[in-house]
Amino acid sequence: MKIIYRLSLVAIMLSLLLSACVANAPSTPPAADTTIVIRAGTGDGGDGLTPHQQIIQNFEDQNPNVIVQLEPVSGRDYYARLLTQLAAKAAPDIMQIGDDAVPSFVSKNAFVPLDTYLKGINFDPSIYLPGLLDPGKINGVQYLLPKDYSPLAVYYNKTLFDAASVPYPVEGWTWEDLLATAQKLTVKDASGNVTQWGIQLPAAWTTGFEYWVAAAGGSLISADGKTFTGVMDSPEVARAVQFYADLYNKYQVAPPPADMNAFGGGNSEFANGKAAMMIFGRWPQGGFKTNPNISLGVVAPPQDKVRANILFWGGFGIATSSSQPEIAFKYLSFVSGEPGAQVWKDWALPAVKSVADSSGLSADPIEGVWIGELNHLVPRAYTFTPYWNETADPALRKVLESVIIDPNADVTALLAQAATEAQAALDKLGK
Amino acid sequence: MRSGHRKEALQFYLAIAPWLVGFILFTAGPMLISLWTSFTDWDLLTDPQWVGLENYRSLATDPTFIQSIKVTLAYTAAYVPLDLVGGLLLALLVRPRLRGIGIYRTIFYLPTVFSGVAFVVVWLWMLNPNGGLINLVLRWFGIEGPRWLLDPKYALWSLVMMSFWGWGRSMALYLGGMQSIPGELYEAAAMDGAGSFRQFFKITLPLLSPIIFFNLVLSIISTFQSFTSAFVATNGGPLDSTLFLVLYIYRQAFEYFHMGYAAALAWVLFAIILVLTLVLLRSQKFWVFYLGERNDR
Repeated sequence: MKIIYRLSLVAIMLSLLLSACVANAPSTPPAADTTIVIRAGTGDGGDGLTPHQQIIQNFEDQNPNVIVQLEPVSGRDYYARLLTQLAAKAAPDIMQIGDDAVPSFVSKNAFVPLDTYLKGINFDPSIYLPGLLDPGKINGVQYLLPKDYSPLAVYYNKTLFDAASVPYPVEGWTWEDLLATAQKLTVKDASGNVTQWGIQLPAAWTTGFEYWVAAAGGSLISADGKTFTGVMDSPEVARAVQFYADLYNKYQVAPPPADMNAFGGGNSEFANGKAAMMIFGRWPQGGFKTNPNISLGVVAPPQDKVRANILFWGGFGIATSSSQPEIAFKYLSFVSGEPGAQVWKDWALPAVKSVADSSGLSADPIEGVWIGELNHLVPRAYTFTPYWNETADPALRKVLESVIIDPNADVTALLAQAATEAQAALDKLGK
Repeated sequence: MRSGHRKEALQFYLAIAPWLVGFILFTAGPMLISLWTSFTDWDLLTDPQWVGLENYRSLATDPTFIQSIKVTLAYTAAYVPLDLVGGLLLALLVRPRLRGIGIYRTIFYLPTVFSGVAFVVVWLWMLNPNGGLINLVLRWFGIEGPRWLLDPKYALWSLVMMSFWGWGRSMALYLGGMQSIPGELYEAAAMDGAGSFRQFFKITLPLLSPIIFFNLVLSIISTFQSFTSAFVATNGGPLDSTLFLVLYIYRQAFEYFHMGYAAALAWVLFAIILVLTLVLLRSQKFWVFYLGERNDR
């Protein structure tokens, strides 16, 4: 038995040795005397990395003693990877995350508060377009600065509008206008099959649906972030759900979803010139502009009781594990500031107002619509509770899936049940 | 002699050291850590809090967990027998030593070596209710196909259908088993006047039972761990109708960051698989027949 004991000792020592190697692996390579390496994590991939690389190049040209190492991790595991890196104190100095991850990362103490740094450079918050600092702010403290963003808008295909002699939608239009327009543009052939749809909708995309709720004058969670019952199942929310479902089933102006997930890429009617309108973020716009089926127009989303829109946002912050936060901040203020925006503007909407104005984007008939929507933002539901994604989001998704699948679904009952389920889940987590 | 024994033992342990180290580092170690984690509340970043049995207690009142168990059981109950019968039928089909039969064997086996994600994406395209191949073909016959993955009544069965592509794996196993059955048995049976059906049920099936048993255990374990098809194709929806237990574990761990709760779920899954495997092992003596085994039980 002694031999086993000794061998297991050897095994344990070996394993310790191996794990030491593993733990050391992700650390930065030894830098030359004067060169400082900072690491920047991003969830972007593919072509999305080009602007990052370009900004880093510009930064390194101005700061010859700093090397910025871009660490892209695309896909759904990005946050899990960041958190494990943080736990191992091996996270990138600069981390990029999306809007609804901010409260949870900040509550886990992952980001450095930026206030002292911002004071140090006499930071002027008004350089940003309206509303773009809010998603990076928790309890009044700024943790992240904006990278890129998108509100929602309605794309429309002028070719199909012209063919049907329907006037283009204009800002200030209502849900009734939307329905009437969509009905005029829905075309059936002799045997009753739809050959052209009025509007392509993003199925059970819960975050996008928050626009419909806000426009109807409702909200999904109480302002104190503690209550769903009586809020999520209010008549306003019911109206939004009913109207949305009716576009699919009652009026049949929206093509049935080919995928329940808005980003699943299932529906392609708008891209194929078979749908006259589509409500979504700015992400696919580049493809639409060069698509021969489409002569593109963009208009603000229609209003119901409220003129509302919601924001999708990504930003950068400094990891608490960073050993060189000053240098990291130098890069952060570069990438999120005017120099960075000069590069972003060719890829996404720039966050910095002067860049948006001087490049002509603010006045552009298409880009100007997106930028103008920043004046109509309502806060998203995740900002009221860190538990949104695991409590009400799945409940709301079920409601949307149910009403899209079943034309006879009882919206009020479904919402009441969803609110109860979400409340139970929240109470369990909150205690 | 004693030192010779010791030397031999030393050599033995040295020889298996790479496996031993790997086992301790990557299997036993993580398992112990996950067992410990299942008694804590841990979000990866702040220190784990010991909560005792709390995670296991909240399982009982978690409707999503119960739904995921139902889905996993339904999928296993549908998939495992179909895989057994399907694999066996395919094996019978490609069993005769004909010219070019190797090509068919390869074709049937091929899907099992494809990457899981790639093959799910191909199925997604085929199952697309509007322009997909399957509904297109159905339309030629005047049938309006269901909305497959978008309909909670059909989504899980669509995944079962997708998994038919995995039949090649069991086919290869059964084929190997059939080829090792001595030909004399069939000759003798034929001489005694047994037709091919009789031969199949009296010779092939009993002598194949160890392989069937082996395959049954493996496919139950792997179906309980189903993940890729739902993760890629449906993300558990619509209406949680394809929410496999492993997908729910993934969600709790890497989307909600409840590591403790996820670890508890994983241990429940482990317990279920363990119990089922033990039951199967015990049932062996009633239906599994090993050639060369004395028949005096």
